[in-house]
Amino acid sequence: MPRHKLIASESDVSVEVEDEGKDNEFSIYYVEVEENFEGGKEKQATRDGKRRRVRNSEVGRRASEKRTNEAGNKRAEKKHDKRHKTARKEGEKHGRKQRRKNADADEAEEESGKEKKNIKNERTKTLKLEDEKEKDVKKKRKKHVKNEEDNAKPEKTKHKDCHDMPLKEKKKKRKKPETISESESKSEPESQSDSDSESKDNPAVGVLGSLTPEELEKLKEAVDERKKLIATLRGKPWPMRKKLVVLRESQEFVEKYEGALGKGKGRKLYAYKVMMMKKWMKFQRDFENFKTACIPWEMKIKEIESHFGSSVASYFIFLRWMYGINMILFGLTFGLVMVPEALMGKPYGSLPRKTVPRGEEASAMNFAVLWDFGGYAKYSVLFYGYYNSQRAIGWLKFRMPLSYFLVGVGTVAYSYMVVIRTMARNANEEGGGDDTSFNFSWKTFTSWDYLIGNPETADNKFASITTSFKETIVEEQESRKDDNIHLTRFLRVLANFLVLCCLAGSGYLIYFVVRRSQKFALEGLEKYGWWERNEVNMVMSLLGMFCPMLFDVISTLENYHPRIALQWQLGRIFALFLGNLYTFIIALMDAIQLKRAEEEIVKKNMTIWQANLYNGTMPDNSTAPPFTAHPADVPRGPCWETMVGQEFVRLIISDTMTTYITLLIGDFFRAVLVRFLNNCWCWDLEFGFPSYSEFDVSGNVLGLIFNQGMIWMGAFYAPCLPALNLLRLHVSMYLQCWAVMCCNVPQERVFKASGSNNFYMAMLLVILFLSTLPAIYTIVTIPPSFDCGPFSGKNRMFDVIQETLETDFPAWFGKVFSYASNPGLVLPFLLLLVLAIYYLQSTSKTYKRVNMELKKKLQTQNEENKKKNKLAALKAANELEQQRSNSASDLGVNEESSSLDEAGHHRQAGHNGRFIHPSQHTQNSGPPVTSTHTTTRTPASRGHTSSGHLPGHPHQPQKNSHSKRR
Amino acid sequence: MVSPAIALALLPLLITLIIRYRYFFVLLYRAVLIRWVRDCLSGLSREERAFQYILTHATPGDSQSILDTFDQWCSKVEFISNIGPKKGKILDRLLQEHCPITVLELGTHCGYSTVRIARSLPIGARIYSVEMDERNAAVAEKIIRLAGFDEDMVEQIVRPSDEVIPRLREDFGVERLDFVFMDHWKRCYLPDLRLLEDSGLLGEGSIILADNVIFPGAPNFLRHARRCGLYEVRVHRATLEYIRGIRDGMAELTFLGVK
Repeated sequence: MPRHKLIASESDVSVEVEDEGKDNEFSIYYVEVEENFEGGKEKQATRDGKRRRVRNSEVGRRASEKRTNEAGNKRAEKKHDKRHKTARKEGEKHGRKQRRKNADADEAEEESGKEKKNIKNERTKTLKLEDEKEKDVKKKRKKHVKNEEDNAKPEKTKHKDCHDMPLKEKKKKRKKPETISESESKSEPESQSDSDSESKDNPAVGVLGSLTPEELEKLKEAVDERKKLIATLRGKPWPMRKKLVVLRESQEFVEKYEGALGKGKGRKLYAYKVMMMKKWMKFQRDFENFKTACIPWEMKIKEIESHFGSSVASYFIFLRWMYGINMILFGLTFGLVMVPEALMGKPYGSLPRKTVPRGEEASAMNFAVLWDFGGYAKYSVLFYGYYNSQRAIGWLKFRMPLSYFLVGVGTVAYSYMVVIRTMARNANEEGGGDDTSFNFSWKTFTSWDYLIGNPETADNKFASITTSFKETIVEEQESRKDDNIHLTRFLRVLANFLVLCCLAGSGYLIYFVVRRSQKFALEGLEKYGWWERNEVNMVMSLLGMFCPMLFDVISTLENYHPRIALQWQLGRIFALFLGNLYTFIIALMDAIQLKRAEEEIVKKNMTIWQANLYNGTMPDNSTAPPFTAHPADVPRGPCWETMVGQEFVRLIISDTMTTYITLLIGDFFRAVLVRFLNNCWCWDLEFGFPSYSEFDVSGNVLGLIFNQGMIWMGAFYAPCLPALNLLRLHVSMYLQCWAVMCCNVPQERVFKASGSNNFYMAMLLVILFLSTLPAIYTIVTIPPSFDCGPFSGKNRMFDVIQETLETDFPAWFGKVFSYASNPGLVLPFLLLLVLAIYYLQSTSKTYKRVNMELKKKLQTQNEENKKKNKLAALKAANELEQQRSNSASDLGVNEESSSLDEAGHHRQAGHNGRFIHPSQHTQNSGPPVTSTHTTTRTPASRGHTSSGHLPGHPHQPQKNSHSKRR
Repeated sequence: MVSPAIALALLPLLITLIIRYRYFFVLLYRAVLIRWVRDCLSGLSREERAFQYILTHATPGDSQSILDTFDQWCSKVEFISNIGPKKGKILDRLLQEHCPITVLELGTHCGYSTVRIARSLPIGARIYSVEMDERNAAVAEKIIRLAGFDEDMVEQIVRPSDEVIPRLREDFGVERLDFVFMDHWKRCYLPDLRLLEDSGLLGEGSIILADNVIFPGAPNFLRHARRCGLYEVRVHRATLEYIRGIRDGMAELTFLGVK
């Protein structure tokens, strides 16, 4: 069994087989003839003579025999010369050589083709050598035959040669007839040198005596081939069952014989090599696993992808990407702002801005600090107000204010860069062109999501594909009719109108709530309860939770493809969230104005307070330090920056809490209820009314995006925000992975998320832009508080740059900078930039168009080719039909011609062996298509089509099998 | 005190729920509220009201007319969970394909499905119709007689299904069931299927058709049918009878024979 597979797997061997088919055919007769003679104890001389006769009769045939044997001969002779050297080394070398030869069999064939003419000349020149070669040829042929016979009829293994061979080797031989025959032909010169007359019987003895290294070579080669087979098995065009069988057999073979190879030193070396190879392979595999394991959450995401399809997985990939971004942001703020301040800045309690004021001290350690971020948390490195305006801190002379400013700007710049780079990279992946032209083919060939590994999901997908087919057919009919388009349009407009109404309503509600909360704030929050105080947050998160559901329901009116529906849904929720966010920002702006008004009052009071302090504590002498007031008692401004940062932190925390609680209640408890109440409920909860929840891709993605927007906005005033966000993302990665796997069901219409990643990115970019706007606005227009933060005492926050330029850089640098920032220079530069962008954009547009045209061209070419091929195939089929009928009609003629073809041979066989002739005849006359027929016919059919060789091809092996059986 | 703004913020949720589950609300209204009101007003059971309507509106002896009237009553007047016209077509097709000789119907209810099965059976076929409730069985018998099917064709058994199935062979001389139609309590689907397996009445190629496997649903039944390997399972997807928006399905189980 494995033998034919092995041969089939290796083109070189099979090529040889085909090529030697004729020789085999001939050599069969020859060998049987020989056997007859052997029985009669003929002399060597007569045999020689006969051989010569044979040679004469088959001049045309000899060349091909020659070339196959020439290679073997040469090798054998070389071999023979080197035999006296150390067997091991030589064997190895030879093995390599032989392998190479096997691999380059085709080249050898060509080479031999060139040699054809030379051979003839050679023969005429050196007759003696030729004679020897001829003998070799015959022996080889005989060997072949014996091998073939071995294969065909195992009971015939009682040949003299094979008889004394160990059984194992015989088995091997059967597996690899070609290599054996070659190597045996190598062995022959030896035996020949011993005696010519015994040449027939002796090789076997020689094989046993001196060829154990050879056998080992063969074994090694076989093992190597097996290995090669195992490596290339994946690419074979076989059915899976066959592949598995072959793989198992080959592995067993390798396992069995690998250890038995070699002897002594070589064996050790070989074993060592094999061991190292195995170790290396294992290491490589482990390294691959390690690499996969190094990608965080890769396995989790893959699992989710296999259960829920790629659209859900795209969310988690996005989440992971976001995590990476936040990691960098966190590294920047933590490493360059928070840690230096904590380590090198003035300690807590040294300044009023670094101390909890007296009034708040009582509640500064309350539990509420954990989510309110008041008390001690407010007066720490986590917020803007804690930082001192000292230019350089610590022994490193760390420029704290400058670092603070640059980190704030750098995080945003970095985010822009990353988002745009990712977008550009993603944009490359999506090709142009409309995909709607071959709707049904697309559906047939591409609708399966190959990442699904769960049978239930697969069932769902199957169902969804069938339904989508139905839908598409219906749609096609509809579009043909095209009367319903108005209804669809109307419905879509209606849906958008409803959504707009919802948006307006929610916007008004938020506005109303914010106004109310301002009223509360003015009157003092202490009078009101928890509900009133948290009204804004509650309303915002409730609206953010439930409006998307309403949009989802409304969007069923529109009847879009789920991918497009997802994008619409994303857009709508985006608008909703944006409205919420900007309402929040506007409220914040109002609060900032209030705080600034308060600050002015405090500033005035401050001077009075200082004067009082001065007057009170400094009676006459000035021995004591002038200000002895504890920093907690010092009156201070409201510090709007810290207020803004705190608001953002609170928002993030409440948002996170809402998300998690929704997850827990909406998904987990619902799933638990559905699961366990289902056993005692009057309808099927799992399929019916509550059922399990689906994973809400759009809502989650937008939550993530807006969360990030808030981080970007607030990070300047609260350096702790990236750290918080990192924590949140980390937790939600695990929590959501778990929730998805444990409480959600796959969507009913699982769809591929192709290209949606870029949509997320685009939204992220918009949000990034929209969130940097207010941040930049506040930085540029509002002067910083006078008594808190790194920029206190400056007119504007960005003055820190100017200050650094003036004091830390040499004078010429400042000059250069001032020249460079001259509008006369900046404007042309900007103009240049704009021009460059325009140029690049137009070129990219051109490229895109060219691409589209190329695509179109390819398409048309494909169609043309298809047509051409179809025509050609038709033609070829017709011709074949004709030839069939022709051949059927004049079978007799063909037979005659075939007999003419092999006339000499027939005569020869007829003379010597009586069994052969009839069998030959039956072979020729049996089926209408025989070897000779094909040889006459193949050129004709080959001319027309690529499949033209088909009629001729299958008969070659058939012929071989015929000859084998004989 | 929850502020009105927060209550308003919950409005979208309410609207969403109403829109999404509107069909269930309609079902609740029609199947429970109206029934309750009519029960109180008329003092008759729902099935008896249905029979009165059919008696006054349908042509006796014409099964199609009776079925149509039934459908009309169920969709216009009140709601009774019959198999309905759409799923009934699936049933008809299956019966015509397989031409069963012995049919077991679990859950006669008002006899709608019995009439539907009986009219598409070949001559000489026999239906055993099992109903637990005696009042329903009486109504069903009247309707079946009205449709013109006699006792040779339809054998009514007024007993719980789990008592009937093991005794089918002894009491009624049934050797093999070609077709089983399940439309009784969804909870009993699985135990009855097990009983049928144990009784040995199912032969190779016997069909078991179970209605309402998705809504109200019989998940355990489906799971068992899929996993045990005795059946080839197909689920015909359709909607609930007389209400469009609720998805439902019928499970067609083809018995493959004992391993």
